[in-house]
Amino acid sequence: MLFCCALALHAAAQNRTITGKVISQEDGSGLIGVSVILKGTTTGVSSGPNGAFQLNAPPQGGTLVFRYIGFQTLELEIGNKTVIEATLAPDQKQLKEIVITGYGEQDRKTLTSAQTSVSSKDIENIPTASSEQLLQGRAAGVQVNANSGTPGGGIFVRVRGTSSINGSSDPLYVVDGIPIQSNDISGIGVGGGTTSPIADINPADIESMEILKDASATAIYGARAANGVVLITTKRGGNRKAKISFGSYVGLQNAPITPNDLVVDGPTYERLMNEARANNGQQPKFANPDGALNTNWSDPIFRTGIVQNYDLSVSGGNEKVHYMVSANHFDQEGILKTSNFLRNNGRVNLDFYPVDKLKVGTSVLFSRNTRQRLRNDDNISGVVPGAFAIPTNLPFYQPDGSYTKFSIFENPLAAVNETDISMETSRFLGSIYGEYEILQGLRLRSSFSLDYSGVQEDLYDNTLLNNGAGRNGFGQSVVTKDDNWIQENVLSYQFGQQDHAFNVLVGTTLQESIFDRTIATGEQFPSNEFRKIISAAVQRASSESTSWGIASLFSRVNYDYKNKYIATVNVRRDASSRFGRDNRWGTFPSVALGWVLTEEAFFKDAAPFVSNFKIRGSYGITGNQSGITNFQSLGLWQGAAYADLPGISPVQLANPNLKWETTAQTNLGIDMGFLQGKLNVTADYYIKKTSDLLLAVPLPRTTGFNTIVQNYGALENKGFELAIDAQVLNKGDFSWNTNFNIARNVNKITKLAAPFNVYNRDIFRYQEGFPLYSFYFHEQIGVNKETGNIMFADVNGDGVFDPNVDRKIVGDANPDFFGGFTNTAKYKAFDLMFFFQYSYGNDQLNWNRFFGEHGGTRDFNFMNSQLDRWQNPGDDTMVPRMTAANYAGNLRPSRFLEDGSYLRLKNISLGYTLPSEAISKIGLSSARIYVSGQNVLTFTNYTGADPELTGTASNRLTQGIEFYSLPQPKVFMGGFNISF
Amino acid sequence: MQTYINRALAGKSLSGSKRTFTSRTNHLSKYMVYLGLAGLLISGSACDVLEHEPQAEVSEDMAISNLKGAQAALAGMYDQLQSGEYYGRNFQIMSDVSSDQAQSIGSWDFYREMDTYLLDKGNIENGNLWTRAYRAVNIANNILDQVPKLTEVTEDQKNSILGQAYFVRALAYFDLTRMYGGVPGVVGTLGVPIVTTPSRKVDASIFPSRATLQASYDHVESDLLKSLELLPEAHASDVLTRSQAVKSTSRALLSRFYLYVNKPERVIEFANQVIANPRYMLVSNFPNIYASKFTSESVFELNFNNADPSGIRTWYFPSTLGGRGDIAAHTGFYEKATADPKDIRGTMFGYNPGPKVYYPTKYQKAGNIDNIHIIRIAEVYLNRAEARAKTGDIPGALSDLNMVRSRAGATPITNLSGSQAVLEAIWNERNLELAFEGHSFFDLVRTGQALKSLVAVSRTNGPPVTLQDRNRQVFPIPTFDIDANPNLVQNEAYK
Repeated sequence: MLFCCALALHAAAQNRTITGKVISQEDGSGLIGVSVILKGTTTGVSSGPNGAFQLNAPPQGGTLVFRYIGFQTLELEIGNKTVIEATLAPDQKQLKEIVITGYGEQDRKTLTSAQTSVSSKDIENIPTASSEQLLQGRAAGVQVNANSGTPGGGIFVRVRGTSSINGSSDPLYVVDGIPIQSNDISGIGVGGGTTSPIADINPADIESMEILKDASATAIYGARAANGVVLITTKRGGNRKAKISFGSYVGLQNAPITPNDLVVDGPTYERLMNEARANNGQQPKFANPDGALNTNWSDPIFRTGIVQNYDLSVSGGNEKVHYMVSANHFDQEGILKTSNFLRNNGRVNLDFYPVDKLKVGTSVLFSRNTRQRLRNDDNISGVVPGAFAIPTNLPFYQPDGSYTKFSIFENPLAAVNETDISMETSRFLGSIYGEYEILQGLRLRSSFSLDYSGVQEDLYDNTLLNNGAGRNGFGQSVVTKDDNWIQENVLSYQFGQQDHAFNVLVGTTLQESIFDRTIATGEQFPSNEFRKIISAAVQRASSESTSWGIASLFSRVNYDYKNKYIATVNVRRDASSRFGRDNRWGTFPSVALGWVLTEEAFFKDAAPFVSNFKIRGSYGITGNQSGITNFQSLGLWQGAAYADLPGISPVQLANPNLKWETTAQTNLGIDMGFLQGKLNVTADYYIKKTSDLLLAVPLPRTTGFNTIVQNYGALENKGFELAIDAQVLNKGDFSWNTNFNIARNVNKITKLAAPFNVYNRDIFRYQEGFPLYSFYFHEQIGVNKETGNIMFADVNGDGVFDPNVDRKIVGDANPDFFGGFTNTAKYKAFDLMFFFQYSYGNDQLNWNRFFGEHGGTRDFNFMNSQLDRWQNPGDDTMVPRMTAANYAGNLRPSRFLEDGSYLRLKNISLGYTLPSEAISKIGLSSARIYVSGQNVLTFTNYTGADPELTGTASNRLTQGIEFYSLPQPKVFMGGFNISF
Repeated sequence: MQTYINRALAGKSLSGSKRTFTSRTNHLSKYMVYLGLAGLLISGSACDVLEHEPQAEVSEDMAISNLKGAQAALAGMYDQLQSGEYYGRNFQIMSDVSSDQAQSIGSWDFYREMDTYLLDKGNIENGNLWTRAYRAVNIANNILDQVPKLTEVTEDQKNSILGQAYFVRALAYFDLTRMYGGVPGVVGTLGVPIVTTPSRKVDASIFPSRATLQASYDHVESDLLKSLELLPEAHASDVLTRSQAVKSTSRALLSRFYLYVNKPERVIEFANQVIANPRYMLVSNFPNIYASKFTSESVFELNFNNADPSGIRTWYFPSTLGGRGDIAAHTGFYEKATADPKDIRGTMFGYNPGPKVYYPTKYQKAGNIDNIHIIRIAEVYLNRAEARAKTGDIPGALSDLNMVRSRAGATPITNLSGSQAVLEAIWNERNLELAFEGHSFFDLVRTGQALKSLVAVSRTNGPPVTLQDRNRQVFPIPTFDIDANPNLVQNEAYK
């Protein structure tokens, strides 16, 4: 090829020089990068700025072929012209849709992988801190749960099920080509909750999110691809006039339900306690229940929070420069007093075309977030826990004005008013790149990126809090630095001859990640006015550091014949510092084939109403290295001081064989379009088999170790996904679009060294043949109608119920089906959108009930459900008579596991676009105002606060357990978008 | 390999540009050179990218490679004893809620299981204790394996280090055997798995079966005697002498040990040696044992400080005082302990008005920096008193008993006749003197009183409880080890 071009230059003297310009039929603008080829030869160039091109042609005749993605291919005879202007028409027939893929982009028409796109218009103007939550219900097969209603809190995201036990099953997030740090890096635990680092990104900057699901789409990300990949592409400028956009919304958010709605009142508490004691043969505890106080612990801690957002962006460009600059201010008050998430960020995306064939540019995000946090969830010092557990017969304050304290729980008022936990994150996510077109279609792109997070967290517990009382005030300061750099080089070559089109790339990447943390704590403060550790009489500090690196090679070949038969082959090789010495390099290949039937003549004749019909299949192997901590393969000792004496103790056994988890995925899919694309259906079936599962294989603890991480287990996820997108109506002023998606995923552990139980009271069990997040309980079969005593299944069939052995898996947190349903209607200038999201068949553990339906064995307040207790012979209920034996400490009754299915009107909005004649007078080019609501309605049989919650999210082996968590708020808001 | 590929890529683009472009493109090729060079510079670090060393840990081969490492491992071994899962709180609370001394009144129902004799084999705290004791054993095994090979460590230093490792291993196996095995002649026939080599890799050796109860006690004895042989009489300072094992620590523990295997002469022999040592004397003012640190009372006292606090106070103290108030004294025990108004030990209680319970104030220091007494000289007197009573030396027994009683301000006991009555008085004294220090349940089991005295023990937030099943005088082998090790047999009551 190089040789040919050299020859062509050499031969210039005898040939004509043809000059010209390629423009778009749509707006007459010059098109850059159009491939211009002299038909039947390998001579070709690509158009430059303004669409200009120049090439050498034989003295006579010849035909030029113009190819450009998204446009119809044009052939023009040169004849005896030397100046040619080519006008390319958009490719309406094929409805080209360019989708971003790993290290490239592709026409959806020839895409052979399973990949779902969520575009900016689906997710704009939704008051959510963190973009990954916006995928909920939008993409078939992507399960998203908000673990809590805490602003900026962690989100549970699974692409095609959970494929790891010990490791992370979160997808890899890639922003503008940079695999970013997406783990919770908060260093101060506030309970079971986590924070989402994706909240650093402004959702309004996002052009599209692509969810790569099958192995063909993901294998190019190798050892980090097994959980799927989310490609986030931000908006960029273009060769168009400057557009200044401003948008804002303001909303109010409320708790849909508070703990007070779920617990009994003060007199009832006292009556129930007395009843329990009477049933146990004890004296009543309370003399006069009727005169008991009734305190609403929720009232003074909840509030109507204000959420506000302001977006300003400028984008545009010319032939030489494309720019997009944006700024965002987002401020979300939590529904609990003082909790808050605040984001200020800016973005600069630039692309320069300084000289012919060279493109350089940058994508830069700078974000600064502040979270004001509260303890909650699985934390006895939290706000919500106290509101559930403290009996309603106790007053807020004691006669001396101090907070009422109860058992180990924190007074909710104190927890709100006195707690001071802040988290300030500074994030820089930036890259520079250079891309040079060495030859027609042959490009080398090099980039260097940095993903830096600096987190400053401060905590102060004054003496009015239980945490601070015993130590005269307690302060903590944690500084965390997470620093990643990535260098990538990609050489891509796009070429073709007549019906054969090739797209080949090879690349290398290096990435290194360094994590540092310094923790300082202080106690014994002079007074509550002193909050910084410098004033503490007792000060301690520690620091830690860890790091990892990965080096990779990758390659992909795309081939299509007449847009009819398509093949894609990927391979990536990854070497990671985390892998054991004996397993340094992993290879991750994939292959995909597609057949577009609608390109076949016979099919066109047979089914003319079918506008698109593609069958595709893929198979490939991807990895997951996240289950290995940085130095897991080594035998290590760590610090273990004995008072003043420095000491060491063993932490882990060596495993030099340690390697990534391997997921082999088969995908079969069809894409169908009917009625000229008015109805589109995508369906996929997949089998994901994960082996070499990194497991903390239990060791007999007589070794001095609990576990050793080994590549031992296996699990599988099987499922299907269906997405339907339909233009129901488009008549005159009225249009109505609807889309619907549903997915089923069946998860099963297929190999495990030994069953193991997880979390306090062993309520989750991991066992072969069962799915992850399986609940392990004593199966309660009822309550004896005559005696009121609790009845459990005799699992081993020996005739008696023995709590030590008669325990079984009674359900799991995974939904049978989940998805979403959107309708968008437009009439004249009005638009109405409503979006439902649903989950069916997931079991949700109402763990609040376990503690609050205690039958008098604890001092805690009772949940309302305790009122269903057995009282008289003949009562038919699941809640047993209130005696100590029925509520014994070693019982784990299954009645707390509830059906967590729900259907939620997640989002509804009504907008009005102002007429352009009116607004042009004041210099606006577009203006829209709208009102909308979030989490407006939820249909569920679940009796807790929210069927979506997980109060123990910091333990990734748990899911589907409401435990003193904050429900997601209901939000009503209004806003506008204008542009100049 | 990575570097090679990158160079090849960069080289390709360089040579390509040379051959392809004319003068106009020449300066373009410079860009390519820069790009390529940038790529090379960065890829130069390709090897570094994969070379990462832990910053916060050391590899196991380096851990005990010199004197400093050996001493650090020694401290790490005591650190295991300090853990909240062992002597930092768990051992004492497990013993004392299982007896008539303490009750569980809070949300942590794992202690409630023990309190109500409904202990489940999956109980977290029971599992924690097992785990932590074997961690201590593993460090001791590492020390015993590595330290003899060290050069440049003097014989005295080696003996001291090895002696301490034998001592801590003996203590851990003694506790494990008492908890999970039983007491010869009272309950149990199986002891615990005896592991004596450091765990370095996964092979068949990591699945031991349980030794017999006798063999377990024999192992404790032999480790203790070895430690006695190797240990020095004292360490460099008084604090170190009381907070790390010395000869007298071994002797004192031996005096307790021989009560369990019913060799009263040996009890007397070793108790005599400790009592004769002027370093160890009863403190005249009883509360001072807990208000200060390292008094003459202490034979083996775990040291805690602000950087390394203990957790036991938190569990007893009410939330208004920064605790979690989960565990309290049984009201019955409080009444017994305060029955004699002259007995100063009755003042070591506080009252929690919320749940209306009393709690011990032996662990009382702000910041939870209370030290933990594993062996006090008072116990050694009571060990000897019991042994003397068994060997018929009633005056000697009463003299030891009254040493302890007089110190507390209680009336001396003089009018008893018959060794059984004296024994019972001594046992009763142990119950009062060593309350909330982790002795009560094991003393009740060892002396055969458990099934008689743990009857209808009244509780604040539930009906009275009774220890009915004699096999529940031992704790269950934790589920995780039954699951992970097919050679382990569960105790009868938990099968």
